[in-house]
Amino acid sequence: MASEMRLHNLKWALLTVIFIIVSSVALGLLARLIARLRGLSETEQRKIFWGFTLAGPWIVGFFIFVLGPALASLYYSFTDYELGQKMEWVGLDNYRKMLLVYGRQGRQFNKAMLNSFYYALIGVPLQILAALIMALLLNHEVRGIRFFRMVFYMPVILAGGPAILLAWRYMLTTNGGFVNEAMRKIAGMFFIFDYLYRGFIYGMEAFNGFYAGIAQGDPIGPLKYTAPALLGALILWLLARGEWSEGKRLLAWRAAQIVGLAMFFRLASKGLMAQPVNPAWLYAAGIAALGGIAWLGWLRHPRLRLTQGALLAATIALGIAVLARRDFALGDAETQRYLLPLALTALALIGAWIGPWTARTYRLLALFGALLSILLLVRLAPGQLDGGRLEVLMRYLTFGSTLDRTDDLDYLNKVYPVQTMSSLWFYGLAIAAWLGVAGLGEAHPMARRRLAWGGAALFALFALGSFLDGRAYFQAFERLAQASGKPNYHFSLFRQAIAQFPSSDRVPLWMNSELWSKPALILITMWSSGTGMLIFLAALKNVPRELYEAAEVDGANVWQRFVKITLPMISPAMFYNIVIGMIAALQTFETIYILQTPLTLDSLQSAAYLLYARTFSELHIGEGAAMSWILVVIILTLTVLQFRFSRSWVHYEA
Amino acid sequence: MATQSRPGALLRARGLQSPRWRHSLRLVRRVLLYTALIGGALFFLFPLAWMVGTSLKTIEEVGRSQLTLMPERPQWQNYEKLLNDSTFYRAYLNSVFIVSLVLLGTITSVSFVAFSFSRLQWKGRGVVFALMMSTLMLPYQATLVPQYVMFHELRWIRTFNPITIPGFFAGGAALVFLLRQFMLTIPKELDEAAMIDGANPLQIWWHVIMPLSRPAVATITVFLFVGQWNNLLMPLIYLQKPALYTMPIYVAQKLNLQESPLPWQDVMAASVLFVIPVLVVFLFTQRYFIEGISTTGSKG
Repeated sequence: MASEMRLHNLKWALLTVIFIIVSSVALGLLARLIARLRGLSETEQRKIFWGFTLAGPWIVGFFIFVLGPALASLYYSFTDYELGQKMEWVGLDNYRKMLLVYGRQGRQFNKAMLNSFYYALIGVPLQILAALIMALLLNHEVRGIRFFRMVFYMPVILAGGPAILLAWRYMLTTNGGFVNEAMRKIAGMFFIFDYLYRGFIYGMEAFNGFYAGIAQGDPIGPLKYTAPALLGALILWLLARGEWSEGKRLLAWRAAQIVGLAMFFRLASKGLMAQPVNPAWLYAAGIAALGGIAWLGWLRHPRLRLTQGALLAATIALGIAVLARRDFALGDAETQRYLLPLALTALALIGAWIGPWTARTYRLLALFGALLSILLLVRLAPGQLDGGRLEVLMRYLTFGSTLDRTDDLDYLNKVYPVQTMSSLWFYGLAIAAWLGVAGLGEAHPMARRRLAWGGAALFALFALGSFLDGRAYFQAFERLAQASGKPNYHFSLFRQAIAQFPSSDRVPLWMNSELWSKPALILITMWSSGTGMLIFLAALKNVPRELYEAAEVDGANVWQRFVKITLPMISPAMFYNIVIGMIAALQTFETIYILQTPLTLDSLQSAAYLLYARTFSELHIGEGAAMSWILVVIILTLTVLQFRFSRSWVHYEA
Repeated sequence: MATQSRPGALLRARGLQSPRWRHSLRLVRRVLLYTALIGGALFFLFPLAWMVGTSLKTIEEVGRSQLTLMPERPQWQNYEKLLNDSTFYRAYLNSVFIVSLVLLGTITSVSFVAFSFSRLQWKGRGVVFALMMSTLMLPYQATLVPQYVMFHELRWIRTFNPITIPGFFAGGAALVFLLRQFMLTIPKELDEAAMIDGANPLQIWWHVIMPLSRPAVATITVFLFVGQWNNLLMPLIYLQKPALYTMPIYVAQKLNLQESPLPWQDVMAASVLFVIPVLVVFLFTQRYFIEGISTTGSKG
């Protein structure tokens, strides 16, 4: 059976070789013919013939195995293709299923993305840290260092295969596995070790429980408000400190750009999914756009006009989209709610567009920005919708005063409906504040400081309030769950984890719990981070010795030398490792395949694993293709973004 | 005189850099360094040692104590059992067959393409090369699904073809790039001299460039070998029949969760036999790529 197959395979291999030779030579001849028609000399023609013929295998393969399949998969992603069945065009349905969090596919995909996000957020930094420490250790020319380099690198070649992963799985057995037994033994030696061990278990379970709570598609979670408020506070604080420098100008601009892009994608995806958009978004986006234009104008940016035109076009297009709705009526309050911010933004943009760019332009933009902000606040005031908004807003400023009212179910239902308040306006406000501070930094240094400190304090207050309110959130969920007879609310794991400090007989559960499965995976990737280590090692070798000697003369200690010389000099390697690590986090497959148990598959699987399962176990070609294109877009975006933003912090030798 | 202005002068004056002090400081640092290095080596080697140790235990020992590395008495029959097992034998043979064919096809085609991109001057080379480099950005997921459909249409599912044939088309832009970079460092005069002697590009490839590119060819051979030997995803997708299974699938399926107690010693014995070729290849070739990168540093 197998030997027949091998013969069959050899036959095809031979046919392939003949095919490659024939097609490569044909390609060469074709290229030569074209060269002759274009009147190139005889020697040029010969060169072209040989060049194309010898590169032929790759060129032919590119069409058969890359370009053709890529186009085909793009086509499949818009169909409901399953193997052996007729395919039908379904438009964006596959993408919609994947990107909406409702429905089985969407939930699974969301989960996988959140798992990958965890690996990128927690795993990649740990892996890079491990690689850096290894490289620093190995960067000494002492006896036997070649042996150590070999041993430190060795896990890389093993970790790609199932054998060593099985060994890890065995070592990580919960009950009596080597790792747990060894840790328990060490913990039992001395009481401080025991406390450290129990603290480790407590910390891990609490953190992963919290992450699990968020990842379970919780309606909002306090994070939705706390994160933007914290981000706003953090960057404003950085802008407020010390002198005004080029780096800060860049920081303000980059942060506004990133958040603005994220806002844009969120808005676009909502539009794609035909979901209702909270008008607060449009106000926030308008404020952000006006701030950005003012900032670009201040910088005398060469692409000011272009950006302005693009924003104007986008605003007008959005307005037309609102007007083109089937149930459109100008007197309709709903329509007005969308049109008002759009019209104001468009007006300000047109005003800035026609006139010369003078102080009056700034005043105009500031005026309209202020108008939008006031309207946004008015919108949040009671009477506009359900009366809950201002109350919520006030609570953020008063440190979550609902803590004593969580027993009132009606009240809770009213205050915590999904999307009570768009977190987006926090983002819009943050962007406007960053750009405003940046503009003031150029003109009035003192005013810059005051505004930045004030803004940072305000945002910190928001963050603190929303976080404290988060505690009310947990209680609220508990009450709601009890009242509805469904005690399984999303943060149950977190609450269980923090309920008590672990007793001394508790052990890490690894593959028996979703609280421990991801850390186990990260442990193994840290074990096999030799590739990153080699890249760091090469970079360390390239750091000129003179720099260290000069620093030593100036009296810099080891840590200062590391931070001021080593880190900047190896930043290209760091950058490369981060990009590669994040992409690898999305593509993890073997490790999950070997380590998973039915209990933990959900909490482990990466996007690549889900792609495999959906496509090749369930044979949904169309869905698989859509998923793969979402992945491709994410990976390409990651790569491009990292290259783009690396310029501001990666130091390349001239 | 000159020593006066040297940086250490001030410190030396305070006695902080007296020879004895410096000697003991260096000794302490050396000891700390070696402690860290040995600790790291133990951490990195341990899973391997644990694998070997377990493979020689009895099933009672596997179930009992988890802190002893080596068995009381080595159970060589764990390995005998495997060697008498025809499915193991078959999987091993399948793996060896697939890997050899892939190596043969890929190395040959990659060296042709790299040769063309580095040693031949032709119009359009820059464009084609840029195209190849841009495929590095495209993750494999983009083509995985439609390739499956294509092989399905060709009736190649449940054959070795989908795994071995793509390699013949210079699979892997990264390998071509690696080899090309190396070939660029070979002096131009060599092929010019051969050209004057009337050699055609094929002869230059075989007689001049390939013999000089041996280290780079060795490096990509190792990468390819390790990648193919460990490859689990492709065989899982395409083979689908026990008779065709390769070693990675065999080892992965050795762990049958239905059994109790789990026969870890058998799983680990199969794992050891699976890992040996990779380790041997690694041990013999590691100096090429580890020392190559880490002693000279990589520029450009």
